[in-house]
Amino acid sequence: MAEFQHPFQTLKIVTRQSNGHSGVLVAAAGPYLYSYAAKSGQRLAVWPKHIDPSHTVAALPTSEVDGQAPPGKKIKLSPVEDGADNGSVPSKSDSNGSLTTWTNIPILLSTSNGNHVVAMTAEDKCIRVFEISEAGEFSLLSARNMAKKPCALDLTADDQIILCADKFGDVYSLPLIPGEYVKPKTQAKKTKPVATPLTVHSKRNLRSLEQQHLQAERAEKTQEEPEEKTVLNFEHELILGHVSMLTDIVAVTLPSTEGNHSRNYILTADRDEHIRVSRGIPQAHVIEQYCLGHTSLITKLYVPPWAPHVLVSGGGEGHLISWNWSEGRIHQTVPLDGVPEEAVVSGIWGTEVKSASGSAQVIFVAIESSPRLLCFTFESDYTLKFHSHLQLSGNVLDLVTSGPNGSLIASIDAVREQGAGGSWRTSAVSPQTLAERIQLELSSGVLSISAGQDSITESLNAAGTSNIPATLDAKQRKALDDTLYNLGNLRKRTFDD
Amino acid sequence: MAAQVARKRQQREEYRRKIQEQTERGETDVASVKMPQKRYFRQRAHANPFSDHKLDYPISPAHMDWASHYPAFVNPDPSKVNLGGTRQLLKDVEVVDIGCGFGGLLVGLAPILPETLIVGMEIRISVLDYVRSRITALRLQQQNLKRIAAANEGSETPSETPAPPAVEDDEVGSTTTIVPGNYENITGIRANTMKFLPNFFAHHQLSKIFVCFPDPHFKARKHKARIISESLNAEYAYVLKPGGLLYTITDVEEYHHWVLKHFKYETEEGETTPQRTGGIRDLWELVSDEELEADPCVRVMKFETEESKKVTRNNGNKYVAVFRRKPDPEWPAQ
Repeated sequence: MAEFQHPFQTLKIVTRQSNGHSGVLVAAAGPYLYSYAAKSGQRLAVWPKHIDPSHTVAALPTSEVDGQAPPGKKIKLSPVEDGADNGSVPSKSDSNGSLTTWTNIPILLSTSNGNHVVAMTAEDKCIRVFEISEAGEFSLLSARNMAKKPCALDLTADDQIILCADKFGDVYSLPLIPGEYVKPKTQAKKTKPVATPLTVHSKRNLRSLEQQHLQAERAEKTQEEPEEKTVLNFEHELILGHVSMLTDIVAVTLPSTEGNHSRNYILTADRDEHIRVSRGIPQAHVIEQYCLGHTSLITKLYVPPWAPHVLVSGGGEGHLISWNWSEGRIHQTVPLDGVPEEAVVSGIWGTEVKSASGSAQVIFVAIESSPRLLCFTFESDYTLKFHSHLQLSGNVLDLVTSGPNGSLIASIDAVREQGAGGSWRTSAVSPQTLAERIQLELSSGVLSISAGQDSITESLNAAGTSNIPATLDAKQRKALDDTLYNLGNLRKRTFDD
Repeated sequence: MAAQVARKRQQREEYRRKIQEQTERGETDVASVKMPQKRYFRQRAHANPFSDHKLDYPISPAHMDWASHYPAFVNPDPSKVNLGGTRQLLKDVEVVDIGCGFGGLLVGLAPILPETLIVGMEIRISVLDYVRSRITALRLQQQNLKRIAAANEGSETPSETPAPPAVEDDEVGSTTTIVPGNYENITGIRANTMKFLPNFFAHHQLSKIFVCFPDPHFKARKHKARIISESLNAEYAYVLKPGGLLYTITDVEEYHHWVLKHFKYETEEGETTPQRTGGIRDLWELVSDEELEADPCVRVMKFETEESKKVTRNNGNKYVAVFRRKPDPEWPAQ
């Protein structure tokens, strides 16, 4: 019997504007990155190259299912880190040779010039920057471990800076290509209690203060070095922060208007229903606007490239909102028909299709654990008009515009049954459906949207990904599910207090 | 032990019911309008700002029901309603006390800024209940005093001045004179301002923000819960109008330096940097000592809040730093 294979968690197209080189499709599945020729679907390269198959079983998470606990076991990956010996290699792998710690790659970006791919490996919270060669080979330029789990990444318009929005609400800026980093000298500060009998008064507090003083004295006597804090050993800057988990980040540039230069902005969305509009670097501390109107967590932001002053946002409340984000004004509240109340938006994408008679702009919305895409047309008054439901053969994980006019590729989860609930299919089919083609057609003003297979997606499916061991127990399966379906868990659970 | 806890809770509930009844009756005798007693409203000093408390907050500032908080300032035109469907006010709230505790600053500021709407925000539910009861009692007392004064004026023969109400143990703060504004300009709201400040206040709405004796969160691990940080200072700048002031006071010296550092008026090493520019520093200017001397709000902050009195009692130090919101910097030329 065939084994299940890891579905594509994320897809990105790397466009090559220069020299007519055709694009490369980059996809992440399980712990691997794959590259394919966008024109043919032929696989070009895999990264990392050497995962010892005897360790792939161990690679699967066996720890707690809440996603907070550290991964239980680690993959052994010997030569992988070799390319990243520029000082930004995680200290963990320094100390014990070649252990790495991720089982999946939830975030992928590509630079607009098509030279670099940024990938975030999950468990080690590591932002990895790759150079993509003409032949689609990955070469790892840098690996930077963040202190807190990155939830969303974006690149600034000039491709020079990575914006990293994390679980603790902070946004850091990191240069795409890290330069020489001189660690700022931090004198090993002796931790001394900052409270004094002037600031604490209760018997209990005074007693514990006394204890702290004693301990500090003892530490001084024994010359004990205070535990070194985990300091990021690469250039990074905190540019803004919410007191809430961030869920998405978008860097946008508004074109120049009369008398004004073009202006850069950063949009950030959080779990507490806020969308914040800040100025771009170096003025991200200037908040221009809040887009307030959501009443549940926000999970996705989308700014159509053809209308950069419009923002489409979605989350856990059965509708989207189309905004004039620079004014914080709502264009439209877009109902999501047939979407259950507890559902969460897991993706918003847009594409344009052109024909001799005109063009249409289409917005696709995916709901977590759903095989049905909602398709909208983007109207001239910035509202979304429902077009159709598009049924795919499994839950939709990601979408990317790729191929000729009006073509997209969707990544499909053919491991789990369709819909929420997450039970696994009883048997794997070979080749497993990993990707499906979505085709838009515009003829005499009428838009039609269809899904199916073509030679490219068939080639993707045939090449396959890595196998999921058949021996997983229920808990391991659940842990694997949580790597792909975790937005619903972010919903607030309030308690009485 | 458990029985004791249960008894205490029962006493609290009974007491609060009594207070509630007093309000509903609209007690007319000054002497019998009792100020709430703190001991029935005590709550642990710390609250976790990161957890999902069960909070009420408006979708946006335009949805906020202020009318129920400031009945004396409601727009008399009933057709003027906000997005939440409640009556609009004649003016916007302009002064906020973040972490108002038992409301000492509000009560102190009310007569100094009688025409300004002031709100105290507090995350601890019991403490906020106290503030609300306190303000209700103060307003009732003022109404009664005004009525007596009006009656006296009419009859020309001064009736005996009402005896000052008997003060019970920790019941404090009764007033026996009519104060400007009659405490109609202050209120308290339960809120987590670290998360939801922009839900209550629009861009450039406020003229003053107070942060008085904030929870010092001594442990380094807890520093992220501090109410002053570079990220939050950007948010305070969003709601403050240019020229507006952010007041801070603390009795913890290290926290004072934390404040200066997070407004970029001091480096990590503790050097002061008067000439520095860039970053959050673009938005704030440190107010001079001379100016603070002349500001009556600073005096209230230093001597009239509950915490400041406690610090005075314990011979503690008070560190004040006030920052003025500068206009937004020019957009960078590209």
